[in-house]
Amino acid sequence: MIGWILLGVVVLGLLWMVIVYNGLVSLRNEVQNAWKQIDVQLKRRHDLIPNLVSTVKGAMAFEQDTLEKVISARAKAVAATGPRDKAESENMLTQALGKLFAVVENYPQLKSNQNILQLQEELTSTENRIGFARQFYNDLVASYRIKQEVFPNNIIVNLVGGFGKEEYFEAEQADRAVPKADLSLR
Amino acid sequence: MPLTFIEIEEEKSRRIWLFFLILLLIYFIALAALTAAAAQFLALPYDALLKPRHIALLGVASLIAASIHFCFSALDTVRFVRDNLGALEPDPADGVHKRLINVLQEIQIVTGNKKKINGVVIPTLAMNALAAVDLRGNATIAITEGLLSRLTRPQLEAVVAHEAHHILSGDCLETTVAASLFGLPAAAVQKLSSAAIREVRLSPALLLTWILLKLGQILNLFISREREYRADAGAVRMTRNPLALAEVLDLLSRNWRGTGFIENGMGMLCIVNTTAAARDESEGWWADLMSTHPPIRTRIAVLLKMAHSDVSALAAMTKSNAGVEAAKSSAPVFYALDPKHQWQGPYRLSELSVLPWISPLTWISDGKQAVERAWKTPQIDQAVFTNRLEQEEKRPSDFSCPSCRQPLLDTSYEQTQVYQCHFCGGTLVENVKIPRIMVRGENPSTDRIRSLSRAVIKENQSRRAGPSSKDVRGETAPLRSCPKCKNPMMRTFYSLAYRVEIDRCSFCGLTWFDSDELEMLQCMIANKMASDPFAGTSGP
Repeated sequence: MIGWILLGVVVLGLLWMVIVYNGLVSLRNEVQNAWKQIDVQLKRRHDLIPNLVSTVKGAMAFEQDTLEKVISARAKAVAATGPRDKAESENMLTQALGKLFAVVENYPQLKSNQNILQLQEELTSTENRIGFARQFYNDLVASYRIKQEVFPNNIIVNLVGGFGKEEYFEAEQADRAVPKADLSLR
Repeated sequence: MPLTFIEIEEEKSRRIWLFFLILLLIYFIALAALTAAAAQFLALPYDALLKPRHIALLGVASLIAASIHFCFSALDTVRFVRDNLGALEPDPADGVHKRLINVLQEIQIVTGNKKKINGVVIPTLAMNALAAVDLRGNATIAITEGLLSRLTRPQLEAVVAHEAHHILSGDCLETTVAASLFGLPAAAVQKLSSAAIREVRLSPALLLTWILLKLGQILNLFISREREYRADAGAVRMTRNPLALAEVLDLLSRNWRGTGFIENGMGMLCIVNTTAAARDESEGWWADLMSTHPPIRTRIAVLLKMAHSDVSALAAMTKSNAGVEAAKSSAPVFYALDPKHQWQGPYRLSELSVLPWISPLTWISDGKQAVERAWKTPQIDQAVFTNRLEQEEKRPSDFSCPSCRQPLLDTSYEQTQVYQCHFCGGTLVENVKIPRIMVRGENPSTDRIRSLSRAVIKENQSRRAGPSSKDVRGETAPLRSCPKCKNPMMRTFYSLAYRVEIDRCSFCGLTWFDSDELEMLQCMIANKMASDPFAGTSGP
């Protein structure tokens, strides 16, 4: 009798381990998939930039510096690997693009250019997509980490191994800082 | 956003079964009544009707009828809704439509590409959006051209996210099935009858529509109002921008939401009900039971509360990061939402007053209290808007604008005295003076006004006033208060021939025209652009 009970407990325990393990595996795959989605969007952005640069190049002869910064930031972003590295280089690219569009504001013929308007819409959309993909990825990473760390799942994680701590894709620092308005009347 | 919806899925299929059972019951009762009538007509004995065999036969017959009805209506609903509204695929070559396509894809990303959602555009000036899903698994979000063109990007994101949440949470399927059983057939009959019958006041089609709509209201009992709150919250969770959605709701509450164009039977699918019924705007168990949408004011209030935590986080960060200077001085500081939907600040009052984009309707927060429109904060009202008005040459009157709450300026228009809002451009006119203004044409209308008027006329011609429009005139929701007596104003059409929506106070004899409305009416009347008052009306 006692033997049967023990056997039952062991079987139940094994069953529970299988369920937790499978849950962790599927979550790990979802996290990886979400990361791929960010990659897709980042690639989309990288592909748009050469178009943008060639459109504005002619009219912005005096702003070579700004343009070069965008180009080099793009090159760095394309080469980056891993969440942390990518986040950093993408943030630099965002800043460079932000400066470019601020400069475009000074050129009336560029501001009303249909091509630029379309590109701006595409870039805005891509930026939003990156933001949303990041949000989705971070949410998944959070639940993955929670699932790994809660008791008693952490026992299985330590026992089996193979579940790394996925990194968050950090938001850009400039996004978070509060813009300071300069309103001194000149 | 990971979504685990197992419970909701179960709940959803239970409700769809419930709808089926109700349908079955309705068929059973209808068939029983028919056989009883037939028995009466043929002078057969009633006892035969109560035999178990007869009842079983009735049961089988109604089961077959209900199954056929259910399959026909719930299987291909999305296509039906699209055909009924004349909705079109967005045109990628069109800038505004392209934005919708992009936003749809963005929202799919934030939901983890769980479901393929199509977007369509309804070609009407009305402002509304709806979502529909059918048993085949097609999902679509439809937005009217009028709403699409008036929304900023963040606002459009909020609307699409709201509808996407309906679709993903499964409550949309339940609503679509409920609407498809009676509401959509009613809509189809309404459309057919308004195309075929012009001046006949009573027709079998109208009776059928009425019966179908009443049957549809039985199903309304099972559609929870809560789902709209949940979808609002879900949209905020996706876009992290409660204010954009609050702004959209506010905009929708003050505009034509498609009564007559989007048939009544489809009201429950929309983001706000198509008719501005007083029942929707009231609370209590009766309203909860009968209404499919919660009060817009409550929805906005809930969203504003969410925005509050948004700003207080920003305020806390400012203090820790850069705002040491602002924290030191004791002068009050404010955060303001700029037209691009970014919180800006902290500003002191003097700084606020020189912002070019600030208006009485700008969202303001001091970082502690809830977010409010700028006119609601007395200090800002005094320092910014009263100052601006003082710089105007025109004299402020005793009346205040119903949306901006600022004193209206005593202005001369077409050589007669009217009161105009410096900020939103709306005009208050005494009823006796309206005919004078309408016949005078000293200010020639611009191209924009002319094309707007043409669009409104075209819309009116295709608009069908079903039995619903009577309810609208009867119990409009009190959304604007009279600038003089503060009583709620009536929202009506200027006249049957010139169907521009205006707000009228019947106590004071005053009429409020939103910006452009007065000019549009003048243009229509001067150019005899009236729509035929009988065109398309089939209401009793």
